[in-house]
Amino acid sequence: MNATVEIRALTKRFGRTTVLDHADLRVGPGVTGLLGPNGAGKTTLLRCLATTLAPDGGRITALGLDPARREQRTELRRRLGYLPQDPGFYPHFTVFELLDYVAILKELTDRARRHREVRRVLAEVDLTGRAHAKVRTLSGGMRQRLALAQALLSDPELLVLDEPTVGLDPEQRMRFRALVSRLGEDRTVLLSTHQTEDVAALCDHVVVMAGGGVVFDGTPRELAGVAAGKVWICDAQPGGGARPGGAVLRWRTADGRHRVVGERPAGAVPAEPAIEDGYLLLLGARAEAVA
Amino acid sequence: MSAVWHPPADLVRRYTAGRLDPVQVMSVEAHIARCGPCRAAVPYEEEWLTAAWERIEDVVDRPRPGPGTRLLVRAGVPEHTARLLSATPSLTRAWLVAVSAVLAFAVAAARVTSGDPDVLLAFLVTAPVLPVAGIAVAYGRGVDPAYELHAATPMAGARLFLLRAVAVLSVAFGLTGAATLLLPGPLGLSAAWLLPALTLGLALLALSGRMPPLLAGSLLTTGWFAVVLVCDGALHDRFLPFHPASQPLYGGAVLALLVLVRLRHRRLTLGERL
Repeated sequence: MNATVEIRALTKRFGRTTVLDHADLRVGPGVTGLLGPNGAGKTTLLRCLATTLAPDGGRITALGLDPARREQRTELRRRLGYLPQDPGFYPHFTVFELLDYVAILKELTDRARRHREVRRVLAEVDLTGRAHAKVRTLSGGMRQRLALAQALLSDPELLVLDEPTVGLDPEQRMRFRALVSRLGEDRTVLLSTHQTEDVAALCDHVVVMAGGGVVFDGTPRELAGVAAGKVWICDAQPGGGARPGGAVLRWRTADGRHRVVGERPAGAVPAEPAIEDGYLLLLGARAEAVA
Repeated sequence: MSAVWHPPADLVRRYTAGRLDPVQVMSVEAHIARCGPCRAAVPYEEEWLTAAWERIEDVVDRPRPGPGTRLLVRAGVPEHTARLLSATPSLTRAWLVAVSAVLAFAVAAARVTSGDPDVLLAFLVTAPVLPVAGIAVAYGRGVDPAYELHAATPMAGARLFLLRAVAVLSVAFGLTGAATLLLPGPLGLSAAWLLPALTLGLALLALSGRMPPLLAGSLLTTGWFAVVLVCDGALHDRFLPFHPASQPLYGGAVLALLVLVRLRHRRLTLGERL
């Protein structure tokens, strides 16, 4: 793989808590999804990559640049678009003013060119009609689209998106997928998400993080393949406690049957594994190993 | 009358060449807006038309700058820099009102008490802290709501911090200077806060290469109050930090700090090892 982002032994501690523990990652052009439970280190890794947080150890190379060096860090920031998990806004600004402000921070000093760019990204996220609304009047979904719009300013080569689909309704989520899919055709997009459907719909590469490290790195098909032969469907509820018979997880499906990920319950038939199954199995196996 | 008038070719030619008077232009445009064939007959350059529409759109769509931005632009600050400064947390209306209120209270108290030395001392001790507090909350994690949003942009860090610091210093010095002129008593004594304020402001910029501005500001403010208390308690001279004899010390410190900040301004990391 022709890597545009290469992370080696990345380590970050907050006090006594090690959030990233020698994490290794290689990301190439296209859309890469970062999956993992809360506290896995996804956001910390993305913040280090987006140059808003300094790692305690390890090395990052992005677009051939080393953010630990001041000049190269500034150059990387010129070619980077970042959507933070918790983007703060100036509530008294209008949508247009906020994007105009970020465009200036991205060194677009010529007013006509800057405003053209602001209108372009507003159209991309379907916020043109709200350009002059105050940020404080926007709904959660609109704020998320605004945060995405600022990341798209200057047409960056590397997009780092931390949970970009949070707060989006189903229609907006579809539009978002279409946009990111198009953006991923000619650049590198790294996004974190809790939604395995986003990964299935968007990503050609998926990374699973847990406990501050990378526990899986491959294609969505390979992630689903982790659960091959370990996904079952049965008509009756498997007996026993909460997770009987070695099941990592089981739940009742919409058609009243029971889906089990793990060891085969009595009377169950095999089912086609999905990304979610592989993900759950990975995390379940890890939890058992820790226990 | 059923005959339909169309502008003759010569009129259209003069219209496209921009050689008609405004009344004739209105007449031709009123017609071509309704008449497809005449509209198609008017030659146009697509690139020019797109650019013209963009210029019009920009005028219609452009956000109206706030009073602060307009003031800065009138003062000669470039438009994009003025827009950047408009987001400085310590230049918001609430902050400016708070600082003005503190200064107005100090001036009123000094006038009511006819220049009571204790009131003047309170003003002199507080005045240098105002710019320090302003700079400390001008930039950084925890004080700027949009910090995470713009921390990944090329302007983030030292460039934006110094820009905002200069703006805050100018405003704080302007407001405090105006208050100084309104105080009763000799101007030399009332203005004795000036060099201590500059010293503390520059010390904050220098320290910001080692720690976050908010922490640096807190340490400097605490240190400043400690110096005043020591002068009062141990040396029995409350006005010692403001004596004319003390001013050369501040002057020397200002010069040294200016050199230090100039040499290190590119390395300001604001307490973050990046």
